[in-house]
Amino acid sequence: MKPLLPPLLAILRLWRPRFPALGAGILVSLVALASGLALLSLSGLRLAGSALGLLLASGLLLRGLGLGRVVLRYLERLMTHAATFQALADLRVWFFRRIAVSAAGGLGFRRTGDVLGRLVGDVEALDGLYLRLLVPLSGVLLTLPLLALVIGARSVSLALPVCLLFVAVALLLPWLAARASTRAGVPLAEAQSGLRVASLDLAAGLREIVAFGAGARIAEIVREREGRLLVAQHSLARNGAAAGAVSFLCGQAAVLLVLAAAIGFGLPRISGLAAVLSLFLLLACFESVSGLVRAGVLAGSMAQSARRVLEAGAATGPVAGPTPPVPQASMRPTPPADATLRLEDVGYRWSADRPPVFDGLSLAIPAGARVALLGPSGAGKSTLASLLLRVVAPQSGRITYGGVDVTGLDVAGLRRQIAWLSQSTHLFDDTIRANLLLAAPDADDAALWTALEQARIAEFVRSLPDQLDEWLGENGAGVSGGQGRRLALARTLLSPASVLILDEPCAGLDSDTERAFLSTLFEVAAGRTVILIAHRLTGVERLDRVWRLQQGRAVPAA
Amino acid sequence: MGEMSTKRTAATRSWTRTQSRLGRQQARPAILAGLCGCIASLLQAWCVALILAAGLSGAGQHRLLLEALAGFVAAALARAALQAAGEILASRAGIAARRRLRGEALQGMIQAGPALLRDRHSGAIAALLVDRIEAVDGFFARWLPSATLAMAAPALVLAVAWLVQPYAALVLFCCGLAVPVMQAVFGIGAAAASRRQFQALSRLQVTFVDRVRGIATLVLAGRTEDEAQRLAIAAAELRRRTMRVLRVAFLSSAGLDCALAVALVAIALHDGGRLLHAAVSPAPGSAPSLSVNRALFVLLLVPEFFAPLRSFALAYQDRMQAGACAEALAWLPQAASSAPPDSPARPVAVAGVTVTLQDVRYGWSEARGRVLDGLSFSAAPGETVLLSGPSGAGKSTVIELLLGFIEPQAGRILIDGIDLREMAPAQRAGMIGWIGQNPMLFAGSLRENILFGRPDADTAALQRALAVAALDDLVAALPDGLETRIGEGGYGVSGGQAQRVAIARAALHGAPLLLLDEPTAHLDPDTERSILASLRELARDRTVVMATHALEAQSLAGRRIELRPAEHAAPPEAADAIPPMPRPLPAMVEPQPAMANPLAATVDRGVV
Repeated sequence: MKPLLPPLLAILRLWRPRFPALGAGILVSLVALASGLALLSLSGLRLAGSALGLLLASGLLLRGLGLGRVVLRYLERLMTHAATFQALADLRVWFFRRIAVSAAGGLGFRRTGDVLGRLVGDVEALDGLYLRLLVPLSGVLLTLPLLALVIGARSVSLALPVCLLFVAVALLLPWLAARASTRAGVPLAEAQSGLRVASLDLAAGLREIVAFGAGARIAEIVREREGRLLVAQHSLARNGAAAGAVSFLCGQAAVLLVLAAAIGFGLPRISGLAAVLSLFLLLACFESVSGLVRAGVLAGSMAQSARRVLEAGAATGPVAGPTPPVPQASMRPTPPADATLRLEDVGYRWSADRPPVFDGLSLAIPAGARVALLGPSGAGKSTLASLLLRVVAPQSGRITYGGVDVTGLDVAGLRRQIAWLSQSTHLFDDTIRANLLLAAPDADDAALWTALEQARIAEFVRSLPDQLDEWLGENGAGVSGGQGRRLALARTLLSPASVLILDEPCAGLDSDTERAFLSTLFEVAAGRTVILIAHRLTGVERLDRVWRLQQGRAVPAA
Repeated sequence: MGEMSTKRTAATRSWTRTQSRLGRQQARPAILAGLCGCIASLLQAWCVALILAAGLSGAGQHRLLLEALAGFVAAALARAALQAAGEILASRAGIAARRRLRGEALQGMIQAGPALLRDRHSGAIAALLVDRIEAVDGFFARWLPSATLAMAAPALVLAVAWLVQPYAALVLFCCGLAVPVMQAVFGIGAAAASRRQFQALSRLQVTFVDRVRGIATLVLAGRTEDEAQRLAIAAAELRRRTMRVLRVAFLSSAGLDCALAVALVAIALHDGGRLLHAAVSPAPGSAPSLSVNRALFVLLLVPEFFAPLRSFALAYQDRMQAGACAEALAWLPQAASSAPPDSPARPVAVAGVTVTLQDVRYGWSEARGRVLDGLSFSAAPGETVLLSGPSGAGKSTVIELLLGFIEPQAGRILIDGIDLREMAPAQRAGMIGWIGQNPMLFAGSLRENILFGRPDADTAALQRALAVAALDDLVAALPDGLETRIGEGGYGVSGGQAQRVAIARAALHGAPLLLLDEPTAHLDPDTERSILASLRELARDRTVVMATHALEAQSLAGRRIELRPAEHAAPPEAADAIPPMPRPLPAMVEPQPAMANPLAATVDRGVV
């Protein structure tokens, strides 16, 4: 079994800049806890003392403690929540930056959006680390010594078992719960992803399911997967209930010991006042840690989330050569003005156990040329774009831009020079305007409309109620697939890059529109290099060169 | 907009009411366990008070005290068992509720069919089925029991306190009453604000997920750092606003703390005063030890009294999450009471059927007008009809109409003389085979994916289907053959291979009517040619209606029907419905850009 603590500690280390705020929250929570303990035990003492004719705690003290506790608890809630929000926001930004680095290294391109989405869930799951684990745990630093001192001063033989029981409730049981939940986490996660896969199949396959009348069959599969998840969850709930019952019984055993001592049954007798004080203090102390067993269950799953987040953040790409974490002008500030691209004897394979995609690929694309690369799916058309943009690096040969080896160029600068409309270009859950501005943050409306016209989508955008400010929705859910591709195309055309790589720009267009678009591409990209990637040509493109990708090489096509 | 949100709130509220009613029945055992636990804890407090009082006075019968000790132990064991039972029962209630809701959602989805996919991403539909319904667990497992217990358990404690010490009962009653009052004072405004805040927070989370999903696009555009900073700023801004809300919202929790402290101090001081008085000047004939006993008992009741109120406050967020789920479920059509009929009936005729469209009209939305405006054609048994025309002319619409995914707004569709609307879904499914542009491959083996067309097919039928689809060579070459796993979303399968699987499926299904919707739209020319060859094989002896693009149409023999896009996108009725505008001043009659586009004009009018 993997250790619990290291990933959680690593997350805490990331929060180092927030230590003052987090620490202050803990400090206030400790003072609030102390006032609560004092209030309950002094109330009991006051009552018991009165019975003996003694005035042990003044009314003023009790009222002060009561007020103090209310105010301090309020402050504690405010401060610990504010600190949590800060820490979590930091973690999000950290994760985003790390993911960007690994995406720049090519990993993000092979990870599906859903995997990334689940990782985000892992980041959010860490919100309980401070509030529900660290804060109550640090309370133990106060309650355990207090119990030992207050009860130990009256009777050591009573204090010892009580403190052991307290340690069991505050530390041992939560730790065991954390271990158990880590173990149970694997089948639970499997059951969960099983249900998710079945549900995705159902949703994405609704057409097939209805057309083939398979509704009852597929629903049965979803129900069966659900059943498995529910069984796993219920066994987890049973374990949690058992752990909770044991924890409760430990607390009750401690109370029993104090009661036995109060009447001198099996333990050295303590005074009535000491018994009342011990009992009320003990009740308050056990109450303060009663939530920790549940937090332990949480800690197990948090440790797993933390591990996944750290692993995703730690991954760097297979790119040889410099990839600064934050793209900075560390190398050559700007790539050369001459936009000639040259691939010399390039060899590349995605991994050692797979056949090479390219084997001795050589190509020269002069600045301002219009070229096409043809080939069936899987011929490496998109891989070529990844190589040019230094998403991946060739295992042999070299790629030059303007006569300079791209490995010597600043990555960010290179990517400003080369714009890529890939098959998986993402439309963000934002306005059309914001999506377009991604390529050129300073572009004005006129430029946006021009790009939309060129991508043959302006008419559609004009028909929308909010036009450029229309919200696109998740994955461009507000528009059809073809419209989404054209918006992405408009974004690419808007970019000031001198090389445009267009991977199937006409997918989703009908043949007339496709022809119209391709014939205007010539004017659109005046002066820019255009690399068209397609599996066939329509015949209207005015191209300077056409290559066909075959067996890892580029063969000139007629 | 405002009206819509009111309607939504009303729907959410009625959903919550219905679910509360259903869930409360399920929650009854958990509530009962909670109440029994409360009684046990009262018994325990009595035993503790008895023993402590004896310890203080130094007197007391040993035997009685031992009995009290035994009573304490028995009650502790009972409480532990009841507490565990309560948790398990609550979990069971949550499970039953989720199973019921998921079953309803499933049925609703299957009945609504592909129409759902038009305005929702399949990922969002799956998330509804998985995550939204999971999130509603707390509503049934925690909120419903604690909502009842928050009333019943304090009432029980109060009744016992009244019997033992009326003054303490009065204090508890007043402080307990103050809790809802304070929650109303600080809570109502804060609740509305915090709901908004909750939404803002989940919006930020959605944005974050979105940006992470699109990270490759951001990296390539060189915009990572900008986005990282924007995320940080948005989070900081949200935190400031959230804290402003929480400052008020936490006042209501402070109210609970305050009530508890006041009750504790008031009872301690009052009873202490009385005990002190009795101790200093004992009244003749009184039994002070009993009084100490009672005073300690009611003091111990104070935390018991407030505990259910606290867990009620904690469970409130479960209720809020249920609201979000209700909103998500609201757009799902209600499942009809009858279960969808099971596996499709076997096709009767193998030699093809007659398909007739009579004056069929259909429009996807009022704004876009009719796509089909009086389409009529007929396909004889064994005949192939090719529908061609530019995109938007309604080729796919015809296929969807024939599939029964949508119904004609006017006119009739007949298969062998029977109106499509009068056929049971199973009967329809048995008549029709379908191959679309992007066949869906389900997670599972290749065999399972092909058998999807007819689960009870025998090996010989499977082999024939593989041969028709020209899949037999490929299957033979695979190390695992038909048992090859196809990953999530059909990984490791090319577009051509996926289309072959769909052909094998349709061949196995064996329906007499075959509907093809541009089946080679996304394939390269070589693959396209060989897929078309397989399709010709499949089309033999069947009635085929195929939406085609140019290349497909050239290579398949059949009768061609050219569809033209409806020239007048805005339907005439819509124009009539608009009251005549007052004649504008001549200077204002300029051709507005929107008027050039009938679609835009309709949308504009719709908004006004």
